[in-house]
Amino acid sequence: MSDRDFSVLGQSVIRKDALSKVLGEAKFAADYKFEGMLYGGVFRSTVPHALIKHFDASKALALPGVACVLTAKDIPGKNRTGIIIKDEPCLVDDKVRRVGDAIAIVAADTPEQVNEALDLMEVEYELLEPIFTVERALEEDSPKIHGATNVHAKKHLECGDVDAAFAKCDVIVEHTYNTSMLTHMFIEPDAGIARYEDKIMTVYCSTQNPHYDRADVAGVLGLPNNQVRIVQVTTGGGFGGKLDISVQCHIALLSHFTGKPVKMVRSRKESTNVSAKRHPMTMKAKTGATKDGKIQAVEVYMTGDTGAYASYGPAVITRAVVHCMGPYEVPNVRVDAVFTYTNNPMAGAFRGFGVPQVAYCHEGQMNAIAKELNMDPIELRLLNAHKIGTTIATGQVLEESVGFKETLIQAAAKAKEVM
Amino acid sequence: MKKRGKGVGSMWYGIGNTGLPNPAAAFIEVLSDTSVNLMVGCADIGQGSTTVMAQIAAEELGLSYENIHVISADTMVTPEGGASSASRQTFISGNATKLAARQAKATLTEVAAGFLNVPGEELIFRNGEIFSSNDNSKKMTYRELMAEMKKHGRLAVGAGAYNPKTTYLHPETMAGIPYEVYSYATTIAEVEVDTETGEIEVLKVVSAHDVGLSVNDTMVEGQIEGGVVMGEGFAVFEKIECSNGVIKNPIFSKYLIPTAMDVPDIYSVVVECEGECGPYGAKGVGEPALIPSIPAIAAAVEDAIGVRFCCLPITPTDVLRELGKLKTQ
Repeated sequence: MSDRDFSVLGQSVIRKDALSKVLGEAKFAADYKFEGMLYGGVFRSTVPHALIKHFDASKALALPGVACVLTAKDIPGKNRTGIIIKDEPCLVDDKVRRVGDAIAIVAADTPEQVNEALDLMEVEYELLEPIFTVERALEEDSPKIHGATNVHAKKHLECGDVDAAFAKCDVIVEHTYNTSMLTHMFIEPDAGIARYEDKIMTVYCSTQNPHYDRADVAGVLGLPNNQVRIVQVTTGGGFGGKLDISVQCHIALLSHFTGKPVKMVRSRKESTNVSAKRHPMTMKAKTGATKDGKIQAVEVYMTGDTGAYASYGPAVITRAVVHCMGPYEVPNVRVDAVFTYTNNPMAGAFRGFGVPQVAYCHEGQMNAIAKELNMDPIELRLLNAHKIGTTIATGQVLEESVGFKETLIQAAAKAKEVM
Repeated sequence: MKKRGKGVGSMWYGIGNTGLPNPAAAFIEVLSDTSVNLMVGCADIGQGSTTVMAQIAAEELGLSYENIHVISADTMVTPEGGASSASRQTFISGNATKLAARQAKATLTEVAAGFLNVPGEELIFRNGEIFSSNDNSKKMTYRELMAEMKKHGRLAVGAGAYNPKTTYLHPETMAGIPYEVYSYATTIAEVEVDTETGEIEVLKVVSAHDVGLSVNDTMVEGQIEGGVVMGEGFAVFEKIECSNGVIKNPIFSKYLIPTAMDVPDIYSVVVECEGECGPYGAKGVGEPALIPSIPAIAAAVEDAIGVRFCCLPITPTDVLRELGKLKTQ
């Protein structure tokens, strides 16, 4: 594709991983086996918000083949993980914040014994009022999921004089857009195997984030970072869903306590239930243009539900706010955004970090403006498109590699040819 | 009745983390037989980063792609790579790889310049040969160069690290430089809506992506095709049903994603754009591949039946409700 003079770049060379995958030789985490290996499992909460009054694993421990059952009090290091804010317990200590929170972990000789042990564990809850909507989360009298407020993050972006600009617009469109909670459905459910190798805790796992995993595993075990080794093995996709800790800390803990290798492979159901989801978002947008088609002002108010834990919520809200006016020159912008904690499933990273949600909004607005002005939607975009020298809403001047107009021109030309 | 419609969607996407440092590093060694070990923290999760890093190292060193062996994402062996997210690895780990290769090449250049008796700046490394740009007769093979390196006790090693040029954003106004560079894209979709059943069929999708430089056309097209299909799921299929905090549809039989039967004709258009900041100008396409197909498909459905929807996904039930054809609410 490139007309520049390269010898290797631009060539569709055969992927390094192609042969092993085509031959079925690639080893995924679930394919790993070590001598004397145990299997691990997680006992999870079935309620969204509760204190744990009593937990009893005595029947599980009495089962043949069960090596150990661990709870929060067994954790030698810090019982908090999280990519940006460390707000997620490795094993619940203070309270349950969602359905699927990990309360205890078990290691046994076979997967069947693990399941049997999980069935025999007993827990008694004191239920707390659960919160399932952003609206309820923001009410003053709502119970607080973490600390003193349910506001997970709040952002404000402002440039120019938005109110004065709207007053001069010939056309203004206002719409509200909603997107749903989504799951990644990566093809390979989360899996890993941990063992001590020459006094180093080594975790072979399916992950997008090995160096982050290292720090959280080391933190939970109370080890220096260089005594933990994360080896990312062949990974069957992630789309953002394998950026958070999945099995890593749990198998490392079980291996630490038993001295044996421990493997954990999530079922599809467990994987979907506890991995991060795409933030459902509501975006209320107001866009104004003059009759020549120039966008003069954009105002957006958005809310999002990050669920029980922050995960990548801070990254999603920030990116969504920066991108929500679209790739257009808009001199006057005001954006307010609020994300809250709720007792819904945790929302985090998912291909695009909030930009797919806001693109539905800014493109819906552009198409609505085009309709109002009776303009071709491609022409309207070309008229307002980012180019070299554009100043974006954060004040950054775009100095190189701005190929937006070319995508509009080439997409329109190809569509004319094939549609 | 079946009604057709078309829609446009565009997007921009900042490469890397927003207004934060997010570096990645690489180590490299050219061995005496001209094979190369490249150690990168970057996790290949199927997107093909290992292949991309090998191509970048091969280009910079002037060796073939097959010479490069990549060891990736092993924290005891590879340096920090950061997350495989934010469409950042081609740009950031790619730059780190290029810098590592360049450092090894500096030593190689010194030794080759001495052997060929030409200034180092004149030397070109390409396809396993080193030659002077001014005098084609002054050349040597890579094997000869590695023998020369051995004679002088020199090792061709390099380490590279890259952190994109961003600034922290102002806490009150968000002013600042959130990303060093942006990818852009435009998608045009054509759909057919059955007004009796509400079924939406995505027929054709054109998706044009400014990737800066395409390191590997087949893989870029693969990203675009996968992204379009995931965008179709976002626009007209997928939704987690959650009740009292419990996910009701955690399995494939209940959470519908597009299957091979749903995949439209996809026309990928790769747009290149000059720039200095990425490795040879490359940016990122992992997430951009998904994004513009969502608004384009939604707009095409609206164009087909003249109804504006405010929620995604748009399901057959939603279509029938808006057309007043739903018998029971």
